[in-house]
Amino acid sequence: MAARHYTAERTVSSGQTEEDGVEQDSNDSDRESASTFSSSDYSDDLEPEWLDDIQKNGELFYLELSEGEEEAALAQAAANQGVSTNHVRFSEKEAEIITEQNKKQRCGSRAKGEPTLKRLARILRRKRRPSQRRGGGKDGGKDNSALSSPPTSILKNQPGQRQGVTVQQQQLKEVCVYLNPKRLGGSSTPLSDSGGLLEVLLGVVHRPSWSRGQVDPAVVRQEERLTVHGLIPNSPAIKCGQILIGDVLVAVDDVDVTSENIERVLSCIPGPTQVKLTLETVALVDGSSASDTSSVRKTKASPPVSQLVRLLWGEDTAELQMSIGHIPHIVMYLSLKLDSASPQEEEEILYQYPVSEASSQLKGVRGIFLTLCDMLENVTGGRIISSSLLLGKHLVHVSYWKESNNLLVIGLPAERVPLLYLQTVVGDVVRTLKVMYGSLDSAFCKVDHAPRLDHFFCLFFQQLIQPSRLREGSFPPPTDVSGTLFLQGLPAVRWLTLPPEIKMEVDTVLSDFESSDFGEMSEDFFGLRRLYVILGSCLFYKSYLIANHLPKEDLLDVCLYCQHYCLLPLASEQRVGQLVIWREVFPQQRANGNSTAAPGYDQPQGRHFLLIVGLRHFMQCVLLEAGGCASPALGSPGPDCVYVDQVKATLLQLEALEAGIEERLNAPPAPCLSCADWFLPAATARDRLDSLASSSPVFSKLVKGSSAGSRGRSLFGEKARRSSPQRSLSDSGSEGQMDAGSGSGSSMAPGLSPHSTPDSARKLGGRRDSLGSGGSDGSGGSGGLFKIPRMKHPNPFYLGTLKKTLTERETEEMYNTMKLTSGAENTLFHYVLMETVQGIFIAPTHREVAQLSGSIHPQLIRNFHHCCLSIRAAFQQSLPARGRRAADRPQGGGWGLGPVKEHGVLFQCKPENWTDQRKPAPTMTYWVIGRMLLEPVPQEFYVCFHDSVAEVPVEMAFRLSFGLAL
Amino acid sequence: MMLQDGSTQLLCLTASSGVPLFTRGASKQLPFSVIGSLNGVHMFGGGQGVVLSCCETEDGGKVVWRVFHDSVMLIAVAAGGQGGAGRSSSSKEVEEEACLQRLLENVWSCMVLVLGQDELANVRNVERLKRDLRSCFGLIDQLLEDRHEGILGNLTHCADSLLPPNPALLQDAVQGFAQAADSEFGCLVVHGRIAAATEKWWRLAPQEVVLLSALMRSLSASGSSSCDYPVFLPHGSPTVAHRLLRFHLLPGADVCVLCGPTPSLHRAESGLVVRFWTPLVETLRDCLAVGERCLPEICHPPLPSKDPLLGAAKALLHLQYNALLHPGGDFVRLPRGEGSERQH
Repeated sequence: MAARHYTAERTVSSGQTEEDGVEQDSNDSDRESASTFSSSDYSDDLEPEWLDDIQKNGELFYLELSEGEEEAALAQAAANQGVSTNHVRFSEKEAEIITEQNKKQRCGSRAKGEPTLKRLARILRRKRRPSQRRGGGKDGGKDNSALSSPPTSILKNQPGQRQGVTVQQQQLKEVCVYLNPKRLGGSSTPLSDSGGLLEVLLGVVHRPSWSRGQVDPAVVRQEERLTVHGLIPNSPAIKCGQILIGDVLVAVDDVDVTSENIERVLSCIPGPTQVKLTLETVALVDGSSASDTSSVRKTKASPPVSQLVRLLWGEDTAELQMSIGHIPHIVMYLSLKLDSASPQEEEEILYQYPVSEASSQLKGVRGIFLTLCDMLENVTGGRIISSSLLLGKHLVHVSYWKESNNLLVIGLPAERVPLLYLQTVVGDVVRTLKVMYGSLDSAFCKVDHAPRLDHFFCLFFQQLIQPSRLREGSFPPPTDVSGTLFLQGLPAVRWLTLPPEIKMEVDTVLSDFESSDFGEMSEDFFGLRRLYVILGSCLFYKSYLIANHLPKEDLLDVCLYCQHYCLLPLASEQRVGQLVIWREVFPQQRANGNSTAAPGYDQPQGRHFLLIVGLRHFMQCVLLEAGGCASPALGSPGPDCVYVDQVKATLLQLEALEAGIEERLNAPPAPCLSCADWFLPAATARDRLDSLASSSPVFSKLVKGSSAGSRGRSLFGEKARRSSPQRSLSDSGSEGQMDAGSGSGSSMAPGLSPHSTPDSARKLGGRRDSLGSGGSDGSGGSGGLFKIPRMKHPNPFYLGTLKKTLTERETEEMYNTMKLTSGAENTLFHYVLMETVQGIFIAPTHREVAQLSGSIHPQLIRNFHHCCLSIRAAFQQSLPARGRRAADRPQGGGWGLGPVKEHGVLFQCKPENWTDQRKPAPTMTYWVIGRMLLEPVPQEFYVCFHDSVAEVPVEMAFRLSFGLAL
Repeated sequence: MMLQDGSTQLLCLTASSGVPLFTRGASKQLPFSVIGSLNGVHMFGGGQGVVLSCCETEDGGKVVWRVFHDSVMLIAVAAGGQGGAGRSSSSKEVEEEACLQRLLENVWSCMVLVLGQDELANVRNVERLKRDLRSCFGLIDQLLEDRHEGILGNLTHCADSLLPPNPALLQDAVQGFAQAADSEFGCLVVHGRIAAATEKWWRLAPQEVVLLSALMRSLSASGSSSCDYPVFLPHGSPTVAHRLLRFHLLPGADVCVLCGPTPSLHRAESGLVVRFWTPLVETLRDCLAVGERCLPEICHPPLPSKDPLLGAAKALLHLQYNALLHPGGDFVRLPRGEGSERQH
């Protein structure tokens, strides 16, 4: 039977390390589930590339960069050879250095040969297998653990190099690995008597010659050289990627080792530490290990892919983690219920990551966390959510998440995550974990999850602590930490508005797919029960969501997963050759079953699977349901080829629309944006205020332009003189870049809804009037927004009139140009609008922002995001405590704060590196205003605009949401 | 829940041994075991090189620790804003961490102001210290109920002041009065707010100005017509005491000078007060009228319980605090208080 035979064949090839298939039979049974799809006999008779990467539990994370990307990386590598850009911190001494020529030759051959060679190499490898098995002896037996390894793609990077030059000389190399004896307990490998610490701790398999049954004349001595016969997946040895089968371990931390003393030497390692191994790469007999060596060297010289991708592949985690080892951060899962009968050391720690010096200090004080968690609830009423600790110079915020009898503690450095946002960050992580594993308990309490969780939290910390490093190699890193935090923390996904015709086509294609009508590929065709029901899907293009057919909560779940694994930036910055992700997920809305159940409707008790397929810049996430009306899922099924292929087909179909989407991305920003730098007056100190209008072209236009402009000017003039610029004058001696006269007031504004009656507006306005005259004029801020209209109208707070006059005055052209701000000149710098109901937000695209690159504009945007963090935190605080994570809960809760919250801060900024000593730097004043509406639809809106023109943010919000069609 | 909604309790212990020195605020004192554990977790962390500074609970409750001079530990425990199910809009807003930190600073400075730094930094006799500390309670209680007649200075470290109708006249009087009392530091306080003060008075550390105003308020509340009170300036002279001579002029109006050993209280009261202030009684009365109008309760009766000024001040403080914590994001820098912020 062909399919069966084929499966067996594949099993052999799937051993990632060079081991045999001694346990092939048992493996086959393990992989029965995987073999189902190969028997489904799809038209493409070639096996999909990702089949090898499916893990035992059916999960798949397969990522392959496109050829163009790899070529570019290689070209860069070749160019960088001379400079020796050593991105990897580990040193590697070699007895012989390969000449430049060799390298180039190899790179060239690789770049060209890559695409076609991939499959060829696979076949070759399969053929070569028997001989290798003979050479390697019976050192395998770890084959199935290769399957449980995280989704590394070691093979995938390497096949092209099989043709590489063979290095004939013996080499000594030093490899640093990170060992943690404490992890021994968690290791899934049993302490075998033959392997000992070498195997368990380091992950190097060495079979003494007597057990191999062969007598090597060179090593008849009692003390045998430690040849590496195999590597254990997930071990430090394989993770570092530089220890190869066939190498000889010569020394550990400069202590010579042999088979005699290795166990003693290794047992002397007291705790987690970095160990230097000296290895001898033996004279090479066959090509395979030689090419491995060269591939490793190439990796060292210049990483072909960004750190992010390598991290996703599961490489380099130890090294990346070590580079932030000095920054205190930790995640611990602690048990609150202690068995006092058998007090064991560190028994209460169910999970912990990472193991570093700084984090061990945090681990040491876990008693504080447990005590506080226990005690504070009684004292202040309400569970503890965070603590701030000072570790030496580092301020660390620790967040708590209590679930049943266990406590999740996450400590993060304060300079990365402000306290205001810690709760959101941790809440997101918890939700991601729940989506992935069902509950925290099931995530943390299973021993075999530990390596996967390590990878998970490695990603988490890397993204938070050194995001720039992950993006290394791609275009200039926008290390806007607060921006990332703010945008990712929003319970929403970034949306890209598309022209209606494209949008419609996209939706049609998606709907076609979701109908599961796969023609002769579908189960219906064969009269079988359907495997999965497609619940919905969403489509990303270059990290923007362009179509969504998922319910909001599901969308958020999916998006959290994507965010955590950096899939969105990946798709926007690097062309993904192919991305296939498959895993069981536990959508929170469905798992909790708290969806408003209509009478007579029961949510089917099915299992859910997430399928993500990425092709170039497109990425589609599909949520599938098994059980319910589809056939129930048994065991842990892997991805089904049919579904994957159908998604791929959908994506290919969508690629026809790529040009249209690109056009949209390249189009000038739909609501016009201005660059902050245009507003900087190049003025001298003395008459800066007076020349503000005359010297800057923008301003003069503003003044002389339309009537609206002049109104703005006069208003601005009065206010500016009184408040901020004056202050900045007195302050300009100080070295600060920016000085903000800040006022923040959260006040009720008239309802923004179209239904709001003039009466209510008048009433509320009147209230504010009394407030304004009450005396807080001084700080320029609190009343500023509302003072603006005072000049023109007898009752300035009657917004009804104002709105009318606005529309009268600037009727048509305003709407035609899609300008958000009023006045002749566009003064809008940045905006973020979140539609809470749909779970999406829109903001200027990256490209739009990049086009406006000025000197202070990026600075301004950073500040905008930073400020939005605070504003949003203030909004969240005003919501009932329980609803903080879900601002979208049903209305009518009646928190009595009125329908609208508004919060604004006035900033003043100067160019960053102003060198001219004699003149003070010119300044520019702008507002950052956030507004939260709960009616008619919950929305949050953040804008940043220049101080000069009277704004009615109401108008802006309307215009933005008007253009937003879903 | 052991604390009332929105109340703040202040615990003071010796840092080395954890002996409770006093507890203020909140009607019901926390049980000793809780006080012990709160102190214990901080001490435990200290032993491990980890300094615990703040904790936050779900509904905005907060605990803030601080050790001063390795000798006195102050802990502020603020209960959450809303307890249980019903959350009334009139409940006190939650305390910001920065506010509590400032409260602890102020309390410590208060203790220094009254007792001097030496006595607090080197505790020899705990029982005696406990007894001595009682003299600070009035002041500390005033700090704890932080909206005493709309006073914001505790929070902002900018003294509350008012603009009298005849500033030059009062200024001259204060100046002359202080000079006659051999002092450069003189101050006229109307309704707890500074109406006029000598140049040097404003040169004192902002916190000292605020605390001295608070001290004046609590002294004048005692109703005595004059007093001679030794004070240590927490920043200027934490170890050497000065004399604060306070004279009651009219109900709600007090004048004080900060001076050395001379003159005696009696001489100053009999000779100087009459000479300088009798001619100004009418001006002072006008000033009192202004002061009355200043009180927010009178000025803004329709406002909800949330004092907008207090809210704004807290927001400012919060931003400032954040700016300190995030020196990288120095966009959010606020103008520094110039020592005198004249309101209204």
